[in-house]
Amino acid sequence: MEARMSNKSLLVVDDSATMRQLLCMTLTRVEGITQANITEAYDGEDALDKVKSGNFDLVLTDIRMPRMDGLEFIRKVRSELNEQTLPIIIISTKGAEEDVQTGMNLGASGYLSKPVSMSRLRELVTNFLGEH
Amino acid sequence: MQQEPAEILSLFKKSEELVEMLRKGRAFTEELMAENERLRYRVVQLEAERINPSELLLKEVERLRIENSQMSQKLEFLDSKFQQVEAENKDFAQRYVEVEEQNESLANLYVASHRLHSTLDCEEVVECIKEILLNMIGSEDFGLYMIDDETGELVRAGWEGDTAGTPDYERLALGQGLEGVVAISGEPYFGADPSGNGTCTCMPLKIKERTVGVISIYALLSHKKGLSHLDHKLLELLAGHAASALISSKLYSMTDRKLRTIEGFMSLLRVNHGGENV
Repeated sequence: MEARMSNKSLLVVDDSATMRQLLCMTLTRVEGITQANITEAYDGEDALDKVKSGNFDLVLTDIRMPRMDGLEFIRKVRSELNEQTLPIIIISTKGAEEDVQTGMNLGASGYLSKPVSMSRLRELVTNFLGEH
Repeated sequence: MQQEPAEILSLFKKSEELVEMLRKGRAFTEELMAENERLRYRVVQLEAERINPSELLLKEVERLRIENSQMSQKLEFLDSKFQQVEAENKDFAQRYVEVEEQNESLANLYVASHRLHSTLDCEEVVECIKEILLNMIGSEDFGLYMIDDETGELVRAGWEGDTAGTPDYERLALGQGLEGVVAISGEPYFGADPSGNGTCTCMPLKIKERTVGVISIYALLSHKKGLSHLDHKLLELLAGHAASALISSKLYSMTDRKLRTIEGFMSLLRVNHGGENV
């Protein structure tokens, strides 16, 4: 498992540096994942550039971000880049049922509401990386 | 009266035959008696044999009963051991969950304190406090107020949401309203909103015993039901660290401004002094 995870590449997208730091700290607690496996992006636009140039196994994204929000980012990844299999997990303060539905309809693979349960996040990440 | 010798001989012969027959009868009787004796012995033997198996059976039953009781005792012991192990397992699982929660709590506290002290820019500190309140506490309507020593008011330094964003909350008098009372008392408030709009949390920002500001939470995110133990810990941490981070950044910017003024003044003096020399 550890060996399988060590070559995985993750992208964390959030305009909050505090949140990015917390997510990175949590992800590095998943067996086999180190800081070297994680790339950070400030907003949707930054993330889109990084997805174009990099090869990621999993993306964690916020919704409310400047320049390009998380939903637009997902839409572009799925339609413009035609990346249908890349798992994208939304981590947002918007936790209402309709927000979750909107995100999932756009092509998100998972949805977590803030404040995030770190054990739940690790579980979800492990599942997605295990499948991918 | 004299009988014929032939007749006498015949009688004699018959008597001898009779004797022989009686002898055979006796031998046969003796043989029967012997057989009878043998059969009686056999009957006794068989009787004994019939009794012995039941004794063996009883012994076997007794042995099995003892074995059964021993097995029952062992089973009871194993059952109690199993229950003990199961209880220990549950205890370990519970402790694992607690340790996980503590880890999560420590990670949150570490990131929050690290971020708060990672900058000397007052605006960045305010932004960091807002990020913590929004992303880690899960509040969607909150205000951050600092005490203005000159005017004796609470001045809004940062906010998020509808309530905190209204002009009424730009400046609050000390001692008035929940924020003003908390700023004066220095005691946190967790409970119902005095204005009747759900719950409210008001946390004084303190450096030792000196209150320098207040964080007031008016509403949590719609999917968040209430503040957890971790949230209280984070708020307590904010109360201490945010206060010192805000004051440090303010002092730094003041010192920096003064230093620039002095440096400007010194360079002006040097220019003037150089001009005189020329």
